Amino acid sequence: MSKPILEMRGISKSFAGVQALKNVSFRCQAGLVYGLVGENGAGKSTLMKILAGVYKADAGDIIYKGMPRLSASTGEIIASGISIIYQELALVPQMSVAENIFLGREPRTSMGLLDLGRLYARSDELLSRLGVALDTRSLVSQLTIAQQQLVEIAKALSQDADLIVMDEPSAILAGSELDQLFDIIAALKAQGVTIIYISHRLEEVFRIADEVTVLKDGEVVDSRPIGQLNRHTLVRLMVGRSLDEIFPQTDHEQGDLALIADDIATDTILDGVSLRLHAGEILGIAGMVGSGRTELARALFGADPLTRGEVRLAGATPQWKTPSQAIRAGVALVPEDRKSQGLFTALSVRINVTIPILSRLSRLGIVRRQTEEQVVEDARQRLSIVMTSPEQETQYLSGGNQQKVVLAKWLETAPAVIILDEPTRGVDVGAKFEIYKLMRQLNDRGIAIIMISSELPEVIGMSDRILVMNDGRVAGELLRENADEERIIELATLGGAEAQSA
Amino acid sequence: MALAKRKSGLALSRDNRWRLRKFVADYGVYIALAILLLVAAVLTPKLFAVDTIAVVMRQAAQLGIVAIGQTLVLLVAGLDLSVGGIFIMTSVVVAEVGNGRNEMIAPAILTALALGALVGLGNGLLVTKRRVPPFVATLGMLVLVKGATQAYTRGVPGGFVPEALGIVNQSWFVLSVPLALWLGLNAIFIFVLRGTSYGRRVYAVGSNIEAARLSGIPVDAIRISVYVLGSLFAVVSGVVLTGYVLYVDRFIGSGLDLDSIAAAVVGGTAFIGGRGGLLGTIAGVLIIQILSTMVVLLGLDVEVQFIIKGLVILGAVTLYSVAATEA
Ligand SMILES: Nc1ncnc2c1ncn2[C@@H]1O[C@H](COP(=O)(O)OP(=O)(O)OP(=O)(O)O)[C@@H](O)[C@H]1O
Ligand SMILES: [Mg+2]
Repeated sequence: MSKPILEMRGISKSFAGVQALKNVSFRCQAGLVYGLVGENGAGKSTLMKILAGVYKADAGDIIYKGMPRLSASTGEIIASGISIIYQELALVPQMSVAENIFLGREPRTSMGLLDLGRLYARSDELLSRLGVALDTRSLVSQLTIAQQQLVEIAKALSQDADLIVMDEPSAILAGSELDQLFDIIAALKAQGVTIIYISHRLEEVFRIADEVTVLKDGEVVDSRPIGQLNRHTLVRLMVGRSLDEIFPQTDHEQGDLALIADDIATDTILDGVSLRLHAGEILGIAGMVGSGRTELARALFGADPLTRGEVRLAGATPQWKTPSQAIRAGVALVPEDRKSQGLFTALSVRINVTIPILSRLSRLGIVRRQTEEQVVEDARQRLSIVMTSPEQETQYLSGGNQQKVVLAKWLETAPAVIILDEPTRGVDVGAKFEIYKLMRQLNDRGIAIIMISSELPEVIGMSDRILVMNDGRVAGELLRENADEERIIELATLGGAEAQSA
Repeated sequence: MALAKRKSGLALSRDNRWRLRKFVADYGVYIALAILLLVAAVLTPKLFAVDTIAVVMRQAAQLGIVAIGQTLVLLVAGLDLSVGGIFIMTSVVVAEVGNGRNEMIAPAILTALALGALVGLGNGLLVTKRRVPPFVATLGMLVLVKGATQAYTRGVPGGFVPEALGIVNQSWFVLSVPLALWLGLNAIFIFVLRGTSYGRRVYAVGSNIEAARLSGIPVDAIRISVYVLGSLFAVVSGVVLTGYVLYVDRFIGSGLDLDSIAAAVVGGTAFIGGRGGLLGTIAGVLIIQILSTMVVLLGLDVEVQFIIKGLVILGAVTLYSVAATEA
């Protein structure tokens, strides 16, 4: 065995009474891909933030390239060849894509001035290596979260690192972007770069990892070469029990028409989408990053104004132009970007969960505290949210637990139609199936669901029908019976017309 | 083994440091107030004479009533500089409409409240519908209100403040009318912020406006309502001030506008919105008022007062931002 490039020994870390890591040891050989998996709140991101110098470990040593690492700033750590793609994206919204990629390391001319030509040329080149068509001059604030994710990846690649940590880079990528990412990982590996890859999508871990480390409740459960594992054993290590991962189905007939959208378009990419949604069904929306899925969700919910067409409940005239009107009409949206659109990070779990149902929880404008606490406790149990107390600020929850809080918040509104944009983004396997079961329970109560997802097995496993989007339009509709990954990817990449003639 | 022990000891101390920071963020202002009282006990024991306490508390109440409104506005990530104009407007309205007749006090106050609400509405509409930054919108409104008041009075305010408004100078030992008003309004609005759905929505809008909008909260209405409340509190404070001096003063309440912002910020309400509350503001008001009084008691120049206030504000803001950086 060659000498490891990185060795983390006996790392412990706690936050205000929560022990996030207990005596964790983790080592990497150069040029291999390491999968890091575990349930939400297991401590994966914390371990990587310690590696990046964002947090200081309470105890333990880090030996990098044969040298014990003493205290170092995040900048020095990047310079030493470690780069990290964070789970909660950290780009500067008011800057362009290229400026973000080279933030703090902008190419300069011999005169010491900013070399804009090279800045954009090198950014363009990086993005094309990723196979992403994105204008490097556009502002990050104008990008969708998935596009921002791609910029983060490009940024990490631009740092010419020896060790790259990817904290759930794939959570919102689909199809060809994912393939592109894996191609890049393979190429990096061939150049001797070490990769630590965190994901809740285990099929990805099996596809690219050489070795897998499982964290549970802040401790390493096991570390094994991938060859000694199968999906079943890996899940058991993570969750601590066996889990039959079967997508729950409904057996009831399709219900009445619930929601109708006719030829809707917005200022964004959306360009003439029509759909019909029935009570008690799940309509899956698939498509590439930037195909208009999120824009569709926002348009249906009244979050973006329509420039054409109309949305209404079946048997009614259009009733909403704004989110608050939509909510009153019985429509809910779980947005894709939890940090900027879903969460009140400075406020407690309790306040987050009950904010849309305050009028139901209060009498004469006064919130009934006991009922409220009961609602939060029910949500915690149902979605197994890991938190120290309902008063914990949501910014201190792990990514997956934040997602559960956002989900809980909307499930409480008991809507007639619920639009879920990447509902299981960053959620661990166990909780994922809890969410699936919950969706079917909602169906059984007659609630109609639209589910946008980049995870094809999830779309295929859960949807009764699937709309595939391409370039702001519906490229095709598939019934569950004849949907498979290939067919979806074909529609998503080629678009409707070509796919049919092909 | 010994090493492991030492390390776990270290772990504990880091954990404690985190708690300490959180403690500072949550309770720092109360500790600061306690320390200030101790210092005052040594330097200016006269502060604790019943008469002085009564004066300090009445002045604290005048500032504190505006500061309630200012805190609400700051909670939605806003700012209200127009309160200074409202004091002057209130004083002129009370004198013009009241014109020395006690039976006109109620109509005079109602008129001032109505005009104040209009100013608040203007602030709110500018900030929400025209998307003018709060600093600019309320500064413009300040100039406008001051200018309009002056144009109306042609520089020489007419009318007389009705005598009976002097009721605000009544007190029962330390408990003066303004103090009772301040405490009562605080009790109501502490409850509103904590216990009602309106209060939750105020925090939500300040914490993340886009998430609030997507949660179905009428964000513009909430923000406008908060600006209106801010102006109404300023009117109430203006009435109390007018009753105190019992004549129309063109410089009435000068300095209270910035002090109200300072009190809220020292009390832990953040400029970025969504954080803080009225208990902290009460402590902030007391700190500022006690400092001013101590400067007077020590016979120092008024300029010293500004320097000390400035240092206190900078100190508080620094402390909060240090406490906010985690781990
Ligand atoms: N800054 C912080 N302050 C307080 N607690 C924290 C902080 N960061 C993380 N935690 C806690 O530490 C634990 C581990 O969190 P971490 O983010 O490492 O989980 P994770 O394994 O990355 O989970 P996920 O899969 O959901 O992203 C959680 O219980 C979390 O609430
Ligand atoms: Mg994480």
